[in-house]
Parts: sequence; C-alpha cells; structure tokens
Amino acid sequence: MSFDKRARRRRLILVIVILIAAHFYVRPWVGTRVAPDLLMLAMMLVAIRSRPGVAAVAGFLVGLTADVLSPARFGAGALACTIVGYLAAYGRAVFFPDNLLVNAGLFAGGIWLRTLIVLLAGGAGPGELAGTLFIWAPVQAVVTALVGVVVVIFFRDWLAIRLDE
Amino acid sequence: MSRDQGRSLSRSDTVLLVSCLALSITAMLLPSAWALAFASSVRATALAPVVWLQNNAEQWRSSRLELEDIAAARDSAALAAQSLPGLQAENAELRGLLALKSRVSYRTIAAEVLHQTSPTDGRTLLLGVGSSAGVRAGNPVVSPEGLVGLVVSAESGSSVAMTWAHPDFAASVVTEDGSVMGIVAPTPGAVASETLLELRGVPYRDTVPAGKQVLTSGLTGVYPRGIPVGRVAGTRREEMGWERVYRLTPFANPGQVRHVLIYLIRETRLDQ
Repeated sequence: MSFDKRARRRRLILVIVILIAAHFYVRPWVGTRVAPDLLMLAMMLVAIRSRPGVAAVAGFLVGLTADVLSPARFGAGALACTIVGYLAAYGRAVFFPDNLLVNAGLFAGGIWLRTLIVLLAGGAGPGELAGTLFIWAPVQAVVTALVGVVVVIFFRDWLAIRLDE
Repeated sequence: MSRDQGRSLSRSDTVLLVSCLALSITAMLLPSAWALAFASSVRATALAPVVWLQNNAEQWRSSRLELEDIAAARDSAALAAQSLPGLQAENAELRGLLALKSRVSYRTIAAEVLHQTSPTDGRTLLLGVGSSAGVRAGNPVVSPEGLVGLVVSAESGSSVAMTWAHPDFAASVVTEDGSVMGIVAPTPGAVASETLLELRGVPYRDTVPAGKQVLTSGLTGVYPRGIPVGRVAGTRREEMGWERVYRLTPFANPGQVRHVLIYLIRETRLDQ
C-alpha cells in the first residue's frame, strides 16, 4: 500500500472517529427525533469508498450497534444497515458521488430506506409506518443529509472528494 | 485486473453480503431473552465507552440547559411538600383506626434517558444507570408525568427499559376512585407519534367516564399502587356485550422523556 493511500485511509478513519464521537456526545444536545444520525452518515461515507462486501459488513456492524443500544426489535437495524451499506457501495458505480447533491441524496435516501426496513422488519402497523415514513423519516433524512454535505465540504481533502464546480 | 480476479472479488462481496444478511436474520429470530442478554453484554464491554460518553453528554446538557426548569420544579415540589407532614400524620391516624399496616415505601434512583436515532427508540429506552446502582430487571420506571415502563435488562453502567409503547407491555390498573379495574396495553397499529393506550377487560356493566384518571393497581406485584398511567379519552370498542375497551391518553411520552426515576422495588423487597 502506498504512503499516499495509507495517509488517506488514516484521514478517513479520523473523520469516522470524529463522527462517532459527535453522534454520542454532540447529538444529545440537538434533540431527539429529528437529530442527524451521524453513525449512519459515517457508515455511508465508508460505504461509498469501499467494495460492496466491505460496505455490507460496515453496515452490519453499525446496525448491530443500533440494535444493542435500542433493542426493541433486535436484528432489524443490522438487516437494514447491511442492505443500505451494500446498496450505497453498489450505487457508487451507477451514480457519481463527486457531486454534492448526489452525496446529499445518497445520505437522505439511506436514512429513509433504513427506517423503512427497520419498521417493516419490526412489524410496524400501517399507521405507524405511514406516520414515520412520511413525516419523521424525511425530516431526519434531510437533516442528516445537510450535516453530511457540511462534513463532505469541510473534509473534502481528507475524504479525497473532487466536488463538481 | 484480470477477469478471474474481478470475478473472485465480486463473489467475495456476495459472500459477505449473504453472511451479514444471514446473521441479521438469525439475530431477529433469537429468543427475546437471548437477544437482551447479548445486547447487555455488548453494552457492558465493547460499547461501554460510548454509553458513558452519551450519559456524560446528557448530564452536561441537563446541568446547562435545564437548570432553571429543574429549580422551578424543585420549588413547586418543596411547596407541595409543605402540607405533607400533616397528611402523613392524618394518614397514620386513619390507618391506626382501621388497623392497617403502614404503606410500603420504595427507594428510587434518578436516571438520564439516552435516546437513540433508531426508529424503534421510544419502545425501549437506554438508561444511564445500571446494576451497580442497584437497578434490576423488573424495576418500574416513572417520569414526573407518570408511568414510563419497566426495566428489562441491566448491566453495570446502563439498563434498558421497555416502555408502554412496546407491543409486549401490559399493566394492571384501577381508576382513581378504585371502582373499575382493568389491564392497559398499547393500541396496536397506531401512528407512533399518536400511540395511545387501551384499557381492556372492563366488565360491560361498568362504565368509565371520559377524563377519569387511571393508576397502577399494585396487583401482580410488578408496579407499586398509585402510579398515574393516563386519562380515559373515550370508548374504543365493545366486545360482544361482555367487555368494554377504552382509549387512554398516556401521561408520559417515552419519545420525549429525558429523566426518569427507577423504583428499586426488588432491592426493597430483599431488604424486607
């Protein structure tokens, strides 16, 4: 592995560590329901830079962490994040993540899809499904996408992103 | 990259995906007790630093942003408590006249609620205190508004409570005047933000007017008697002329609650 590649990987790990620390230390200050999901954001940043298999493993680990901290339907988060991680990495070949809007769309879509799968796997009724998917999940997805855009702009050199002008 | 190499890498991607999906589905099929035990052991070991970090953030936030509210609540509570000695003396006198034993009092411990971003947060809550503070599975959890739920697992530095919004929740209740008893459980399939409780098992001959307050009955020994649960909002349905089911507006909102009290009911019983 070249020195440049190793340095890039180290910077990516640092960004991920910052996001994880912010998820558990800064997010509680924001509020609860519509607070950005920085853990999912970190996972998607890894996913769009990895092979689909690695992204699936990263998703599984993040989902399992969510399940351990909120075990209402154990395993649903792991299932959802595995699928989201794999699709984010797979979608990298289809979409071009160097565009800021596409990045934001990927983050928002990932959060919404995660919520959909968790609710379906958790046996949510039609009322809960509709209320969450059309009111709360879009708000959380947009907030997370906005934070994701800020992270991408702020750390674009570290994340080796060449944003379109 | 040769064609063979590319093929083997994509096969490894598929193998990793299928393995993760299989593990996730296995986790979903685990018996509830196993899943809780696994989650508890991971929280106590690998995730202990992040639970500690979030608990510190919540405590810091409370001390910074909610100091005025807490001071106001303490002043109100101090004012209300001024009439307490008189009431206690009167209560003791009446209990003496009726030859009743004194009421059992339980020790409580305050805890921060560590909310998560998962869509199922609110059905279960992660609490910032655990078995090292005396918390055990089966301890009731209340907020200043009313009943929140029940601790289902506890490790040294944190615990998990199942709230009344969880599909498995049920509690024995009684109306404030003690005339009607029943069981409360969450309304199935309701919108999460508008989840209500149902008061079930009320005999058809009994009617409960809207607005009546419902408290825990103390039967079954899980919850102490007298914890406010909710207020009757109307009739939901009538079952074949033998049972009425009422809608209940809960007092406590698990999605918003930030601080709770845990009744150390098991510890108190062991002491006795």
